Amino acid sequence: MTEAVASAGYPTWGARYVWGGFWDALHAEWTKLRTLASTWWLLLAAAALTVVVSAAVAAAYRCSPGAGGGCTPAATGADPAKISLTGVYLGQVIVALLAVLAVGGEYGTGMIRVTLAATPRRLTVLAAKTVVVTGWALVAGLASVAGSLLAGRLILPGHGLSAANGYVVPSLANGTDLRAFGGSVLYLVLIAVLALGVTTAVRDSAVAIGLVLGLLYLFTIVAGVIPNKDLSRHLEQIAPMTTGLYIQATEGVAALPLAPWQGLGVLALWAAGALLLGAAVLRLRDA
Amino acid sequence: MEATIEVAGLRKRFGPAVALDGMSFTVLPGQVTGFVGPNGAGKSTTMRVILGLDAADEGAALIGGQPYATLRHPLNHVGALLDAAALQPSRSARNHLLWLAHSQGLTGRRADELLTLTGLESVAKRKAGGYSLGMRQRLGIAAALLGDPPVLMMDEPFNGMDPEGIAWMRSFLRGLAAEGRAVLVSSHLMSELQDTADHLVVVGRGRVIADKSVADLIAAASGDRVQLRTAAPAEAMTVLAHAGGTVAALAADLLTVSGLSSTRIVAALTASHVPFSEVSAHRASLEEAYMELTRDSVEFHAGASS
Amino acid sequence: MTVMTPPYRSELSSGRDGFGQLLHAEWTKFRTVRGWIIGLVIGLIAMAGLGLITAGGAQSSCQGQGGSARSGAACMPSFPLGPAGEPVNDSFYFVHQPLTGDGTITVRVTSMTGLLPSANAQPGSAGPASTGDTRPGLYPWAKAGIIIKENLNQGSAYAAMMVAADNGVRMQWNYTGDTPGQPGAVGPANPRWLRLTRSGDVITGYESADGTHWTQVGAVTLSGLPSAVQVGLFAASPQYTVKSQAFAGTGTIGLGPTQVTAVFDHVSGVGDAWTGADIGRPEDYPGFGDYHQAGGRFTVTGTGDIAPIPEGHGGDADSALTVSEFLVGTFAGLIALGVVAALFITAEYRRNLIRVTFAASPRRGRVLAAKAVVVAAVSFVVGVLGAAAGVLLGTAIAHARGYYVFPVSGATEVKVIIGTGLFAAVAAVLALAIGAIVRRGAAAVAIVIVAIAVPIFLAISAALPLGAADWVLRVTPAAGIALQQAYTQYGQVAGVIYSPLSGYYPLSWWAGLLVMCAWAAAALAGAAYLLRRRDA
Repeated sequence: MTEAVASAGYPTWGARYVWGGFWDALHAEWTKLRTLASTWWLLLAAAALTVVVSAAVAAAYRCSPGAGGGCTPAATGADPAKISLTGVYLGQVIVALLAVLAVGGEYGTGMIRVTLAATPRRLTVLAAKTVVVTGWALVAGLASVAGSLLAGRLILPGHGLSAANGYVVPSLANGTDLRAFGGSVLYLVLIAVLALGVTTAVRDSAVAIGLVLGLLYLFTIVAGVIPNKDLSRHLEQIAPMTTGLYIQATEGVAALPLAPWQGLGVLALWAAGALLLGAAVLRLRDA
Repeated sequence: MEATIEVAGLRKRFGPAVALDGMSFTVLPGQVTGFVGPNGAGKSTTMRVILGLDAADEGAALIGGQPYATLRHPLNHVGALLDAAALQPSRSARNHLLWLAHSQGLTGRRADELLTLTGLESVAKRKAGGYSLGMRQRLGIAAALLGDPPVLMMDEPFNGMDPEGIAWMRSFLRGLAAEGRAVLVSSHLMSELQDTADHLVVVGRGRVIADKSVADLIAAASGDRVQLRTAAPAEAMTVLAHAGGTVAALAADLLTVSGLSSTRIVAALTASHVPFSEVSAHRASLEEAYMELTRDSVEFHAGASS
Repeated sequence: MTVMTPPYRSELSSGRDGFGQLLHAEWTKFRTVRGWIIGLVIGLIAMAGLGLITAGGAQSSCQGQGGSARSGAACMPSFPLGPAGEPVNDSFYFVHQPLTGDGTITVRVTSMTGLLPSANAQPGSAGPASTGDTRPGLYPWAKAGIIIKENLNQGSAYAAMMVAADNGVRMQWNYTGDTPGQPGAVGPANPRWLRLTRSGDVITGYESADGTHWTQVGAVTLSGLPSAVQVGLFAASPQYTVKSQAFAGTGTIGLGPTQVTAVFDHVSGVGDAWTGADIGRPEDYPGFGDYHQAGGRFTVTGTGDIAPIPEGHGGDADSALTVSEFLVGTFAGLIALGVVAALFITAEYRRNLIRVTFAASPRRGRVLAAKAVVVAAVSFVVGVLGAAAGVLLGTAIAHARGYYVFPVSGATEVKVIIGTGLFAAVAAVLALAIGAIVRRGAAAVAIVIVAIAVPIFLAISAALPLGAADWVLRVTPAAGIALQQAYTQYGQVAGVIYSPLSGYYPLSWWAGLLVMCAWAAAALAGAAYLLRRRDA
């Protein structure tokens, strides 16, 4: 009686079982996400907040010439792409919030038991949630970054960061800017995955969002303030937000503690780690 | 695949508290099985272990011979209603059934069928947070029946329902059993189950105390009593005690006799010329049978009154 | 007939129904949730811990004499200290003579010119080796004028009347004191007359455009001034600095010394026996200070500065540890306290506990007020303890390791510690109010972090240009961070940018507190209104 008997007609292993189960779970998670009004409001909010902040910072930019005088790249070291992308600092809060609510909301209402009864393979559930939330974050990221790009292109040249002064006006035509803007979309996606993993591990929305945002902002502040150059540099090399945002740098890249793609890789490691931790908690604990 | 639930030797502790202490029983198709016990006896925990939500320290729980986790489209095998409030308040009822349907490869049409079946189609688009308790219960039943499963588990489905709702639920569950499904209904109120269940699994302190049909349970209870009104109580007591019954006096002329059928009592009194004016048989109720069985297992006694 | 049961009378003695009882109830609610207490403890550990790590983990490395690398305590700067104990720069060229008792000195300044490092000077250069490395130019805060100084030691008390290049006539005293007089540059066409009069401990400064009509600029008391002091002419010109790109324009880098040459005539009130002296570190810039006297005309050349040293990146005290660094953990503490405060009310909505609460206490505004008092009190305690650990223990640890901590007075330390407590308390009340408005824990926490923590982050991490960072720290609830400012911003010192990264905030402490309280009050008012209107 304690041995499992394969029921007639249903495979219990193999590609068809695994993928068939995953497809259904994916469909269910997508339905869950799209039938909540908050999903679409948060999408709008993420994009709007990012673009507004990027535009505001761009509009407030004043060229402050350095030793040589004049508003030139050599004198100011200003990075038009990074300035246009300042809004990401705010937009990531909304992206993280949606990822947190996608998991935390189930624990808060007890619906997680319904979900796990419908799909007992827990890692399948987590994988499906991750895919769906990643898709949402991708759309949110594309909207936010596209808006920021537009804001930067339109506003910054009027504040001294123009082609006439020798700056590169943000555009997707050149490889560095493509990396900065495209990479920022990837950054937001990784933030969503990180938040998803953390929430699955702690199972409470409010605590999770506090942890995620604290993790992101605190590391950077401590790394910047601590008066120990070695420790500071090491901290900067592992801080999730700082390293992830290296992808936005188009000026002074050589002086960064890590190369841009390496930085995004560090954030990817954080996200993967959080997801693994969440998977372990989900798998091992009672629902 | 057979429609059965088999539970064997489940043990589980939550920290120092023992929730399940060797729980074993089988739920067969074609009847409503009541799962009764005092608060804290382990009913909800057993159901969660069956569904793979909680892990047991020892033992196994099988659906049709298979562990829950190995079932493909498990809602097609077992439909469960554990907590009617496990809903996202800002999602409509239809959408709740919709995602559940999608998770089993079913379509929205199936969701609409269930809404009609449970009488919720007029409020289907309303947000679940605004539902009354009765509506939530019906939504939970709709969710449990989504996959048309041969096995059904309900955790205290009568809680908070009005008399009409209870009557509806009762006939509904009996109808499902009549179709050949295995229905497990947990409750801690016997009066609800009296006319619903055919078979009872009585549990207390994490283990099974009794596993019989309702009729057997009532018969086994020592609650059969006969009330007797007589002008000569002392003589009646002597005669009936001689005949093998246990007699107690309720009032000056009222006796209660257990252990003897009313026929025997009448015969014994007539033979000894003891006058009596009233003989009324008092059948034990399921509630009394249950109270007797679980007296030692009740965890939470009220103060003073017993 | 049966007797009817009399109506039930409770024998429970009825307690008082005041705000005190409500407060007691809310406090009991708070302290009996283990998770919230743990949250407070985590906030405290984060605050104190980060401060102590900063102090205990500080490392400096620098180049010693002869190019050898040095680290730790050997890299700590040492400065002369002014009369109040603050680090100061005190180096200039002094054409002086002794003065005993009361006296006066009058002088006319007819020209000020100067030399700056050449356009391609590199940071950290020792100085122009020859005039070929310089170009003409007057540094904005170059100073020349008359001074009465206690003695020739660095850091001694003084009062001076001067012309400060582009900043007009000024009276300055004891390094931190500064009063402006007539603005405008000085030149042959518009000379300036300056006068200092000493009477006991009081020194009064006067200026005039023509030598006949005098205006008093200021009168200062230098308590304990000895009878015999030094009086004379001086010239000083500070280091040339530019904004540092390494800190995105919020720090400065020195590019080398500058020089000023001033011409004085019509010197009166004193004798003719003058001595010229380099006060300060003459060996660093040999031959930079000098004077010539031809008839009644003095030409004095000097370099250096008589000014306080502010702490900050790029200043002379760059490698000193600061109290602001020990308070870096406040950020973490704020997040933890914000989460706990928001949860204190949103948790009631989760299981409809709010209905029990309002049934027990129907006056909903009072319930909100009681909750606000509880979170404010616990947050104040956590803030004070965390700041005290950081500031007091951190300073002690740094000193024990031989590190120089930029000094703050005891009163300032107390102000910063209490200020952090207030900051935390008002932040917690704001979080509670937001939680009452949105009723969902995660959303409340996100809003609180965006309102308070993110502006601080953006300002400190130099993600925003300085103007935008300033605006953000004036307008958002993060303005309360002004309560933590430990060091004074001196307007009269060149070469340091006062940025949030160095612990300078745009508002004064009471203005910052006011802004933050305004936000909290508005949120509370909104929350109270909604609480009353909405169904529970």
